[in-house]
Amino acid sequence: MSSIQSGARGALDRSPGSFVQYKWPAISALAVTLLMVFYRWFQQTYAWATGLDSTLPEFDATWMKLLSYELPLIGIMWVGLWSWIWMTRDRHLDKITPQEELRRYFTLVLFIFSYAFAVYFAGSFFAEQDASWHQTVVRDTSFTPSHIVLFYGTMPLYVTFGVGSFLYAMTRLPKFAERVSIPFLLAVTGPLMIIPNLGFNEWGHAFWMMEEFFSAPLHWGFVVLGWSVLALGGLLMQIMMHITELFKRMDAEGAV
Amino acid sequence: MQIVKNDSIRGFSMLGFLTRYMARLRIVVGLGVLLALSGQVFAHGERNQEPFLRMRTAHFYDMKWSTTAVAVNEDIVVTGKFRLFQDWPGNIPKPERVFLGNGTPGPVLARTESWINGVPAIQSGKLELDRDYEFKTVLKGRIPGRHHVHPMLNVEGAGPLLGPGNWLTVSGKWEDFKLPVTTVDGTKIDNLETYGVAQTIKVHAVWYVIALVYMLWWLRKPLLMTRFAAMEAGNEDLLVTRGDRLWGAAFLVGTLVVVVMWANWAEATYPRTVPLQGGEMLVDPLPLEKNPVKITVVRATYDVPGRSMKMNLSFTNNGDKPVQVGEFMTAGLRFVNHSVPAAMANVHPDFPKDLIPPSGLKVENNAPIAPGETRTMMVEATDAAWEVERLTSLLNDPDNRVGGLLFFFDSEGNRIIANVMGPIVPVFGKS
Amino acid sequence: MASNSQAEAVEIYGVKWSKWSAALSRRFDIIVAVILFLAVVSAFHLHFMLLAGDWDFWVDWKDRQFWVTLSPIVAIIFPGALHYVFWDKLRLPIGATFAVVCLIFGEWMNRKFGFHDWSYFPYSLIAPATFIPGAIVLDVALLLTGSMLATALTGAIAFAFLFYPANWAWLAAYHLPVEVMGSLVSVADYIGYAFTRTATPEYLRFIERGTLRTFGGHSAWVASAFSGFICMLMYIVWWYIGAFLGRVVTVPNKLKTMMGLKKDPKPAAVSI
Repeated sequence: MSSIQSGARGALDRSPGSFVQYKWPAISALAVTLLMVFYRWFQQTYAWATGLDSTLPEFDATWMKLLSYELPLIGIMWVGLWSWIWMTRDRHLDKITPQEELRRYFTLVLFIFSYAFAVYFAGSFFAEQDASWHQTVVRDTSFTPSHIVLFYGTMPLYVTFGVGSFLYAMTRLPKFAERVSIPFLLAVTGPLMIIPNLGFNEWGHAFWMMEEFFSAPLHWGFVVLGWSVLALGGLLMQIMMHITELFKRMDAEGAV
Repeated sequence: MQIVKNDSIRGFSMLGFLTRYMARLRIVVGLGVLLALSGQVFAHGERNQEPFLRMRTAHFYDMKWSTTAVAVNEDIVVTGKFRLFQDWPGNIPKPERVFLGNGTPGPVLARTESWINGVPAIQSGKLELDRDYEFKTVLKGRIPGRHHVHPMLNVEGAGPLLGPGNWLTVSGKWEDFKLPVTTVDGTKIDNLETYGVAQTIKVHAVWYVIALVYMLWWLRKPLLMTRFAAMEAGNEDLLVTRGDRLWGAAFLVGTLVVVVMWANWAEATYPRTVPLQGGEMLVDPLPLEKNPVKITVVRATYDVPGRSMKMNLSFTNNGDKPVQVGEFMTAGLRFVNHSVPAAMANVHPDFPKDLIPPSGLKVENNAPIAPGETRTMMVEATDAAWEVERLTSLLNDPDNRVGGLLFFFDSEGNRIIANVMGPIVPVFGKS
Repeated sequence: MASNSQAEAVEIYGVKWSKWSAALSRRFDIIVAVILFLAVVSAFHLHFMLLAGDWDFWVDWKDRQFWVTLSPIVAIIFPGALHYVFWDKLRLPIGATFAVVCLIFGEWMNRKFGFHDWSYFPYSLIAPATFIPGAIVLDVALLLTGSMLATALTGAIAFAFLFYPANWAWLAAYHLPVEVMGSLVSVADYIGYAFTRTATPEYLRFIERGTLRTFGGHSAWVASAFSGFICMLMYIVWWYIGAFLGRVVTVPNKLKTMMGLKKDPKPAAVSI
């Protein structure tokens, strides 16, 4: 990771480009887009062809195969990214320069962008598509062509970025390391809890709800957990407070 | 000089890896599609429904399809009868509100008519247990392809109950599909699929643009951090200017004017509208047919390794003509007694072959049951279909009962339909 | 060219900013605006589809009773919550419009790629409702009154009342009467009937099944009035929930020494 060299006072590069680096968020957005295009293509090609009857070998050869690629990928993504962020943490946050801290704030904001980008596909795009599928066909398994993409593809992906951004802040930014931000925690754990809430959803569809009524109380767990995204407002306030304070510190330093 | 063109020499190539990965995936999924297209046995998700849902709820019989191949816009008429089973499972609601649906892979066929006993089935209604109903559905080809289509009853609280599925082929182009209708006030609608869509998109687009323009006033100015700092500094009076208020007020007035004018235009253009219709369908069952044969299940077993259901049944013929056991039907499967010609003639040639097990129904004593006679005999339905259709999973049910219809035929070919129901015991070894 | 000089200052909304920090703040604005767009599309759309989605999905669910009552109540929640952050912290009177613009974007994306392209439903069956007129009025009410309470009393009720007429501009055509198999139904009913939803049968529709007395048949307006009343309450409740979730609350981090920060001093012994 590059860092800003603090040289003589006042001679620092303070152009926006030296603080805001788009390379990784652009790569992640591109990768997520490609993955989502692949998922959508897969659904279009195989949902009607092999996805209607989960007892068929064709279902295993396509849909369960996709799931079998997804499940280890989840583990790799979670363990890989999170442990990498933790292992490469800054062990001397007490010695950080304001320039470096400001740069990291923008990296954090862009990390949250990657999180929000992945959340869009899970919370909006594939979520409503779940209605278009389940209101159209007879549900015969917990692993439907819609759920294999929504719950085991897109949701673990945003959890990767969400927890990743939280860990990034905690390991790279003194104020987030000093005290845990509750709005940040909410904005990450709420959407994360949607995955375990799937247990309730499947329980209900197995024992209780035989028809697909999308506004059914069975689905309200997702709604309440989704509200936690509003805590991004608190996080936004917090980040703006920290950044404006850094601006002041850096201007004061430069003015000396 | 030697030119080496080999990825491996340059180490790991991400592109190469992805290409190989995709190629492998293509083989896997391609195989899946080939299998799917070649196999006749392709279901609609009903196989994973619990056997009690399929053996003891709606039994569809006398199914006929006017044709199994149409062009886009041509009709397929599906007719048949169904009996709502006497031994309806206690754990699902009774058919208090039922809708005659059709199990299709999406709206690949447009339903233009549906009738139950001559009553239009556009609404849902109450049906009675242990009674028979005749239905007719008219489907119009819409999306080209080969579709597996089931007749279906949706029972409130119990969900979709599927009848026997058949393969229907639609040829042509989706773009050519048209569903015209003439309204009561004489308006001719060319195609319901596209009707009103242009106006809907126009209303949405106009409001969307208005919303974006309204927001742009603020978005063009320093937006978040600077406003936040100004609020912290107590400069809130500088954040909302007179210009802002005038801009907002103009949008307020404009919005109200546009809403009122557009709603008035709609009222004037469509002066006679009706609310959504939420009535109930009222339908009487078919008249009760005489059922002079009384059946008692003495013992029923399912031989797991032999894939064979064996029922020891006691028959009493209270009628005035001798009858023979011709067919056992459950969950859409038809086990037909090959030695009864009337039973064989009762199978429509278009009925899906995968639902007629070739080994048929074995009856211990094929001699007609004489009037007044009581006879106990073994009836055996053996086929891999029990496994294919996953009906053997009834062994995993908390309610281990079997149900189905037995068709009897007299010497004149008249048919009598009787219910068979009772507990069933699995046999895991030789019985 | 990048400005490295801290001496150059600009004044924005009465606050002095060095040029470089003002430029960075604009970058921040743009990135965060994109984040907010994505986050609100996701959260608001998820919320709306799972609380009022069925009415919004299908033209034959858009009745005069439940659709008209429920949709504004469910839809005002995010505008209410966003108004707190947007207005109280930033004095931006666009919270509601922004929220519904996000919602409608998410809906149309899916109506095309999900309902139409994947599940073959015609657009005549699956168009969403618009909330934009009500949202603009709600925003402007806050802009002009500057008061949450006054906005609840005026804008929130307008949000509900404008819903039905604003959508009637496109929905009316689907309520023409048509005779099908000797029965009278609306065009919307027939569209829902013709294009089958296997797992969503007719009886599942939560629609007006016949009013008791709506005094002249004004079902939709009676529903709007009730919806308006609840919207007023919802707006206030969600303003405060927005405030609750928008608070900056922190708790000590026990792991901070692993990042080189000093341990918290032990609290002084408390004498009993």
